[in-house]
Amino acid sequence: MGFLLLILFLVLMFIGVPIAFVIGIVALIGILTIPYTPEATVAMTMVNGLDSFVLIAVPLFILAANLMNSGKISEKLIDFALAIVGPIRGGLAHANVLVSMMFAGVSGASQADTAGVGKILIPSMERKGYDKETSVGVTAASSTVGVIIPPSIPMIIFAGLTNASVGALFLGGIIPGILIGLGMMILIYVIAVKRNYPKDKRVEMKKLFTLFLDAFPALLTPVIIIGGIISGFFTATEAAAVASIYTAIVCMFYYKTLKMKDFPKILFDTLALSSLSLFALAAASALGELMSYYQLGATAQAFFENNIGSQWLFILIIIAFFLFVGTFMDAIPAMILFVPIILPTALEFGMDPVHLGLIVIMTLAIGLITPPYGLCLLLAAKIGNMSIERSFVAVVPYIAIVLIVLLFVAFLPDMAFYIPELISPSLF
Amino acid sequence: NDELEEEEDGTLKIIAAHNQTSPDNPYQAGLLKFKEVVEEESDGAIEVEVHAGTIGTEEDELVEKLQLGAADVVVVSPGFMTQTGIREVDLFSAPYLFNDYEHWLRTVDGEVGEEMAQIINEKSDNSFKLLGYWSAGTRHYYGKQPVESTEDMRGLSFRTQTSGVVSDFWTEVGAIPSGISWGELYQGLQQDVVDSSENAYPFFVQQSHHTTPNGQYISETAHDYTTRFLLINGERFDNLDENQQQIVSEAAEASVETEREVTLEQDEEYKQQAIEEGAEVNEVNREPFIEIAQPILDDFAEEIEVEEMLEKIRALAEE
Amino acid sequence: MKKTIQALEKAQITIGIIFLCTFFFVIVLQIVTRQLGISIIWTEEAANYSFIWAVFMGAAVMVNRREHFNFDFLQQKLKGKKRIFLSLFNDSVLIIFNVCIFLLGLQVVNEFWNYTWSTLPEMKMGYVWIAIPIMAGTMLVYTLSHMVQHVQHLKAKEVHE
Ligand code: NA
Ligand code: NA
Repeated sequence: MGFLLLILFLVLMFIGVPIAFVIGIVALIGILTIPYTPEATVAMTMVNGLDSFVLIAVPLFILAANLMNSGKISEKLIDFALAIVGPIRGGLAHANVLVSMMFAGVSGASQADTAGVGKILIPSMERKGYDKETSVGVTAASSTVGVIIPPSIPMIIFAGLTNASVGALFLGGIIPGILIGLGMMILIYVIAVKRNYPKDKRVEMKKLFTLFLDAFPALLTPVIIIGGIISGFFTATEAAAVASIYTAIVCMFYYKTLKMKDFPKILFDTLALSSLSLFALAAASALGELMSYYQLGATAQAFFENNIGSQWLFILIIIAFFLFVGTFMDAIPAMILFVPIILPTALEFGMDPVHLGLIVIMTLAIGLITPPYGLCLLLAAKIGNMSIERSFVAVVPYIAIVLIVLLFVAFLPDMAFYIPELISPSLF
Repeated sequence: NDELEEEEDGTLKIIAAHNQTSPDNPYQAGLLKFKEVVEEESDGAIEVEVHAGTIGTEEDELVEKLQLGAADVVVVSPGFMTQTGIREVDLFSAPYLFNDYEHWLRTVDGEVGEEMAQIINEKSDNSFKLLGYWSAGTRHYYGKQPVESTEDMRGLSFRTQTSGVVSDFWTEVGAIPSGISWGELYQGLQQDVVDSSENAYPFFVQQSHHTTPNGQYISETAHDYTTRFLLINGERFDNLDENQQQIVSEAAEASVETEREVTLEQDEEYKQQAIEEGAEVNEVNREPFIEIAQPILDDFAEEIEVEEMLEKIRALAEE
Repeated sequence: MKKTIQALEKAQITIGIIFLCTFFFVIVLQIVTRQLGISIIWTEEAANYSFIWAVFMGAAVMVNRREHFNFDFLQQKLKGKKRIFLSLFNDSVLIIFNVCIFLLGLQVVNEFWNYTWSTLPEMKMGYVWIAIPIMAGTMLVYTLSHMVQHVQHLKAKEVHE
């Protein structure tokens, strides 16, 4: 039966039925085939799947990112990043990465970064003679750090699914996120020297300081968010609301880039973007329900125990599996569906849930730039007016960087855990 | 959809579920006993599938599934039952309703228990039928300082229910009820977000709350001899033949015995573990607490219209 | 018909945004009151339920705008009438699904109408559950209007040929 459902899933997906509905239809038909469960369970679990306080962080962080883009904070960050790394060969590409890392400290998602930064940097990179591959590739690939550097919507969801500490996950994402950024910059430098990309003139200290002051309120956001959560001042969900208010105030009264009349559009965009992924999540909850009636968690645990004896092999399988799932599914529904199934096995192997979370989230971040369903790749390709195939070829070298850091985190977790243990040993 | 479904080979299937994911939880022991007896007595004609948190880790979800028929047997606490519109059951979650464990036993296993079972069945239009009363242990205070009198509670922020009779009681004692989710409580106690909490030994010791600075002093306030309802979907029960009903009732009885036994054992076992791991336990003179509770219980019983039942329960304390 | 659909969409967007603002302000209220040492117990529940409403209303609007993500390579390959037939088929799939969810949603609303919020016993859970049939019902309307458009295109093509 499971096999037929899988076929149905693939066929519906192939003929172009929206993927959230494909998930819902498979859940509905699956429940139909279990004689002892009423079909109304599907409608019920769609609501129950959304009935969780942590999920409210999703629209709130999207709201914060939309406010940043409308308030042109992205531009301030770009100017500041350019002043720092512009003088290096391939300066614009370096700035692209650096600004994504800064943006990641405010935003919990990646798409807003691709859109906001890409719209500005892809055209200007092309004007300065960068080839399309580099401009689109760097833009898409560097925005993956959006969900790895805290705050991060997937981390909040993961914490909600496993009772892992949000604070520990957030802190654990800092080092891997920075390493990915640095790795990409090294790669860019090599390419830039080979293709003789331009570099900017060094900026005077005084000018640099002015630009820093200009970007400072935006750069303060991560400190407020992370500090507030770690110190127990507010929860992760509340932090998202605080981030929105803070961004709105800064843009309206400090930068004066945001007006009241901008709000209806910002609110609509927020509603639109978040309801798309959350509706998929609701459908995934129904499918997850079906899997729990089949007791797939216990089955998976038995399978891994009998066939896979070692933790490292288990980790490799998880990475391969989520790489595959990430090609056609968003991180949130993917986690809702599969994390409950692998969690018991991971605990059995003695893995810390925070460690598992970092691995899963970094792997699914790669899904943001792998076709057919990689939102950041699609966005960047659209902005750069390049085909998906060509864009994917362009991001492959950068995916390798993320993979290398991922393997580090997977097998040398002490590295990722250094910061959380330093700041807050009680989390472990 | 009122009948238990027959599998292809003619066997009936019962989906039984509780919300605890840990396999050595008393609920799991209880439902496994239920399964064992049902399957043995029916010679395998009825199969029981036990779900430990897999089809819902939230009790309200389980109650909804029971009503809808997506689960046949579930375990729930009084607080969640009230949300289905049956307010009377909330009496069993009121603080200091019972003097001791024996008092609780006399209540639920006697006339009062039967009366409550009837209320549940009638008010839910036969969606829920009570199979037995389980226990989730005895709840005590634990916090950053030992509590010996009601005075010691004054001004302490205290993780407990933030609404209803439980909250009213602790507010009257002088504590400040605060709502922190169970998952965030360990960190909350560790980082001084909240001064104290309350629960039964197995639950908070498994979460290591007793190892935190704000959880190391355990004072045995015994404010709640907890009740859990083992429920079956009434319509499905009625559709079983007499013999099958008999089997289910017998299995429920056996499960009640097992579950209570395991709960008592674990209460003691985890208390010892807490002491071994450095927590300090003190006994509390409950009289002053009981005195504060009485008028609150009176008002509450009036509000949910169970004054007579409250009197009956009080009368049982004297025996 | 077009005007009716537009009005429906506009109403639904407005409702969605109102609920979005509701949970936003409820959460702000929760932070502020907690810092002041007051605990308002219903904030979390109220935030959750308005969040559910916002998501379902938004999801329905996105059906009208065809923004739910799908793989369109087959659609890109097909031309002319074949392409329209595929669209009609896919829309029928959505319609069957939405009819099911609409009816099942009504069943759920009926079963749980009188359940109460845990923090506000005066509030019925029915007000929350009813978001499901409303979402499925409006998705149904939007999809039907898409099908009408497809049929019109098809007719136009036939006249051409
Ligand atoms: Na981030
Ligand atoms: Na970027």
